Amino acid sequence: MAASMRFHGCKTTIQEALQQYAKAAGSSHPLLKRTIYTTMKLYDREQYWNDRCKPDEAKFNKVLIANRGEIACRVINTCRRLGIKTVAVHSEADSLAVHTRSADEAVCIGPAPSSESYLRMDKILQAIKDTGAEAVHPGYGFLSENTTFAAKLQEMGVAFVGPNSESIKAMGDKIESKRIAEKAGVNLIPGFDGAVRDADHCLELANQIGYPVMIKASAGGGGKGMRIARNDQEARTSFRLCTEEAKSSFGDDRMLIEKYIENPRHIEIQVLCDKHGNSLYLHERECSIQRRNQKVIEEAPSTFLDEETRKAMGEQACRLANAVGYDSAGTVEFLVDKNKNFYFLEMNTRLQVEHPITEMITGVDIVHQMLRTAKGHRLMHSQKDIPIEGWAIECRVYAEDPFKNFGMPSIGRLSRYVEPSHIENTRCDSGIMEGSEISIYYDPMICKLVTYGRDRDAACKTMIKSLDSYVIKGVTHNIPLLRDILTESRFVKGDISTNYLPEVFPDGFKGKQLSMTEKQELAAMACAIYLKDEDRASNYVNQKRCLLVVVLRFSKQVSLIFCSAHYSV
Amino acid sequence: MAALIRSVSKCHSFLHNSVLLQVTRGAKTMANVELTLDVKRRIDLTRQQALLGGGQRRIDVQHKKGKLTARERINLLVDEDSFVEYDMFLEHNCADFGMDKQKYPGDSVVTGRGLIHGRTVFLFSQDFTVFGGSLSGAHAKKVCKIMDQAMLVGAPVIGLNDSGGARIQEGVESLAGYADIFQRNVESSGVIPQISMIMGPCAGGAVYSPALTDFTFMVKDTSYLFITGPDVVKSVTNEDVTQEELGGAKTHTSVSGVAHKAFDNDVDALLNLREFYNFLPLNNKEPAPIRVCEDPWDRLVPGLDTVVPLESTAAYDMHDVITGVIDEQEFFEIMPNYARNLIVGFARMNGRSVGIVGNQPKVAAGCLDINASVKGARFVRFCDAFNIPIITFVDVPGFLPGTSQEYGGIIRHGAKLLYAFAEATVPKVTIITRKAYGGAYDVMSSKHLRGDINYAWPTAEVAVMGAKGAVSIIFRGSKNQQDQEAEYVEKFANPFPAAVRGFVDDIIEPRTTRMRINQDLSVLSDKKLSNPWKKHSNMPL
Repeated sequence: MAASMRFHGCKTTIQEALQQYAKAAGSSHPLLKRTIYTTMKLYDREQYWNDRCKPDEAKFNKVLIANRGEIACRVINTCRRLGIKTVAVHSEADSLAVHTRSADEAVCIGPAPSSESYLRMDKILQAIKDTGAEAVHPGYGFLSENTTFAAKLQEMGVAFVGPNSESIKAMGDKIESKRIAEKAGVNLIPGFDGAVRDADHCLELANQIGYPVMIKASAGGGGKGMRIARNDQEARTSFRLCTEEAKSSFGDDRMLIEKYIENPRHIEIQVLCDKHGNSLYLHERECSIQRRNQKVIEEAPSTFLDEETRKAMGEQACRLANAVGYDSAGTVEFLVDKNKNFYFLEMNTRLQVEHPITEMITGVDIVHQMLRTAKGHRLMHSQKDIPIEGWAIECRVYAEDPFKNFGMPSIGRLSRYVEPSHIENTRCDSGIMEGSEISIYYDPMICKLVTYGRDRDAACKTMIKSLDSYVIKGVTHNIPLLRDILTESRFVKGDISTNYLPEVFPDGFKGKQLSMTEKQELAAMACAIYLKDEDRASNYVNQKRCLLVVVLRFSKQVSLIFCSAHYSV
Repeated sequence: MAALIRSVSKCHSFLHNSVLLQVTRGAKTMANVELTLDVKRRIDLTRQQALLGGGQRRIDVQHKKGKLTARERINLLVDEDSFVEYDMFLEHNCADFGMDKQKYPGDSVVTGRGLIHGRTVFLFSQDFTVFGGSLSGAHAKKVCKIMDQAMLVGAPVIGLNDSGGARIQEGVESLAGYADIFQRNVESSGVIPQISMIMGPCAGGAVYSPALTDFTFMVKDTSYLFITGPDVVKSVTNEDVTQEELGGAKTHTSVSGVAHKAFDNDVDALLNLREFYNFLPLNNKEPAPIRVCEDPWDRLVPGLDTVVPLESTAAYDMHDVITGVIDEQEFFEIMPNYARNLIVGFARMNGRSVGIVGNQPKVAAGCLDINASVKGARFVRFCDAFNIPIITFVDVPGFLPGTSQEYGGIIRHGAKLLYAFAEATVPKVTIITRKAYGGAYDVMSSKHLRGDINYAWPTAEVAVMGAKGAVSIIFRGSKNQQDQEAEYVEKFANPFPAAVRGFVDDIIEPRTTRMRINQDLSVLSDKKLSNPWKKHSNMPL
């Protein structure tokens, strides 16, 4: 721990020295343009080894990031690499946050609650006017899929770094998006095209499709207003409950019905489009390990897909994107059943949380390409330029207690925090630092820990090492759960589905179960630490009467009680 | 037990050799040999008796109560094989009430010296298995002997108290014994550190010995301290109160402030005591101990930059500041549950023991009240007496107002803290993290009270009072209070007014605090300052 502290201390000096050097030499070495913090070693390659642009193409001068936390930092990093000025907006609670400090300019837009700051369109628009930003990157969440916001920006003549508002709108509505997808020839889950009229209609449709069926709210999301029915009786009650839930949660009680896919995998395709009708797919991400419909671990590529399926999925995703005139980065989500049949789920019209794993295997800086396409440039890749090189895994490190329902948020101040970014092939996308407060106001995500390797095994090994090296104190975190999954046999085999967590941990996560050898190792370790501590405690610099210490040191007898067993050392 | 077997086997081999020697000298000396052998056997037997205290049955009872015996405690407290016992054969000389028939070698206390992490300590451990640990003349004599020796060589005394009180059969002899100990407690005060660990009952006059020592620790659920027990309380004041409520660890660590800390059980208590001992010098002429430090002295602590909230009324935990600055986040807090608006405790800076004093904004906004002042004053005086530098973290909005405080004598008690800081000649480093208002600013180790190095963080506000109060006095009756408040804040709610007058030496980046303090302490280690000669000071008690 002492070593890493020392490392922490000298980081700033290296950085300062480099900056001074850069100023003096006027050099344009890429290393000097970015911060040391985010420079990831990818074997001996650049992080974005496959990123393309014309060297002298026009760029935005100043970009405002209408978001906070890690994604704001992520966007700022790319902007800084490209020499684009950045403006951060922040709430009062985030006045000292990392994203606020690392941007060139920062504007406070209100008190801590999101509804009074990061969701206040008027305040953000004012900030854009005041700072003269030419474009806005919305990140994910908050205003990223808000068509009004996108439209208002268009009115002001400010670029929205994301898709046009028509495609956001088209893909935002579940019924509408399915219609478009069907027309574009995308596989759909068998179901009824349109809203269910009433309970009887629901029953009739259910029998047509065949049980089990899924009944869900048209406006739903996050698992709300969503139920599975396996027979007529269940269908009737589910319909009633879902309607009520949807009405109270979303104010929209239109219901959909479709076939329920058992034990599916959640696999999504990253697409990238420009304003000139070009579209690319950046292959898939396997996001099956979820809890309560929130992703925990993602990887790219998927262990499950063969080349043929991958191509079919990618092409369908591109067709869908073209059908709505999509012109930025987006994600098409599919459910894949055990026979490799895939069905369109929805399209996310934003930069996804888990985009870094795609960047790792394709070498493309997605944020950069989003900025380029927003500026109106053509994509410089063709589909054959998008490889799958190596394997990437992302673990979402959350400030939450994994022992309670696979994760209940925990808040507090990070009294010690050391990221494992010094480990080769490890990338930490985070927006916090030692001393930061994890508050009730925002998402409790601490970091997106991404590791990369030549193959899945190598990426997993690096991930285990990184998780073990991570120092987080002050809040409860989910690293024990992540660490357990990484070595769990089904995960290692790649045999996963969206039901993975409840199946592998039927009684909830109980923490690491130690084997006998591990217990003994731990006991030995505890003794070693105790003895080292005792030894250090006798190591005075200025006390005269310490003559007998040396002799006594070797005659220590230690016994300890651990896991209700006694150990004598 | 191991020690017992070892000493017995040593005796055996000794006897064996001497027998061989004796046999060669012929029959004439046979009777003499018998006698010598008999003496050896008696010594052996008495030793074994002494090691068993009041006997196996009473030891079992002691264990059943969740307590260790006097000897087990010593073995846990001192380094292995380092205990040297005094007066193992000393017995009481009371003949009344059939006491002459009941004698135990060593009587009801085990005394001696040992080493804790290689440094000498004198200690006594009362043995509850012998006459309930009651204090006889012999008991007192043994305790006084090691206290005298400790003073002679300049080493601390630790008392492990577990005693039912005075030995009633001995009457006034026992009282005299108490007084002898009290006198020595007082004479030793400020010369050698004295620590009391209450590990069982301690009632009546006996409580005054722990009260006179520098630190009193207790064990939860098994230890009690009171002048008079629940029965007497009932008969005098008609109050119903349990032993635990009246004088348990919780009462004394959170309500009365008599004890400085409580521990879960005997083992926990003794191991913590070992750790605590490492912070103290052996006597008032020795420097504060420095041990090898593996935490870089110049480590930057970026987390400190964000610890003080931007809103000046929002609370934060001063522990975050303290643990960020000190070595390895290792803080031995004194009185953690009493007067929690002031934090005091021991820590190390680059290996050197230091005393930490800090206002706690999380509790009562960190203001000073009677209890906090007394707690702080006693701690500061201890540090000053034993050459331990004092680091003070200031975020104080003032003294707590109110009738209960005024009637309770906040003036007199607040003066104690002021007195202690002003009197202290050890190195004093002060960091103003946020508020330093009014008289409380002066008290908290300010430049004016001979603070050696005083720093302000950028969030510091040194002023006579908060903006609201100040404006209502300066602009009495004025209508646009808001503007004037803003003006006052602009002028005073920042570190400049103090910095331009030299009342703080520098305004520092919070992240550099650890580095700065370590540099200063290293320079100040040669500080020479003494108060004018006096018989003793007259502090407002």
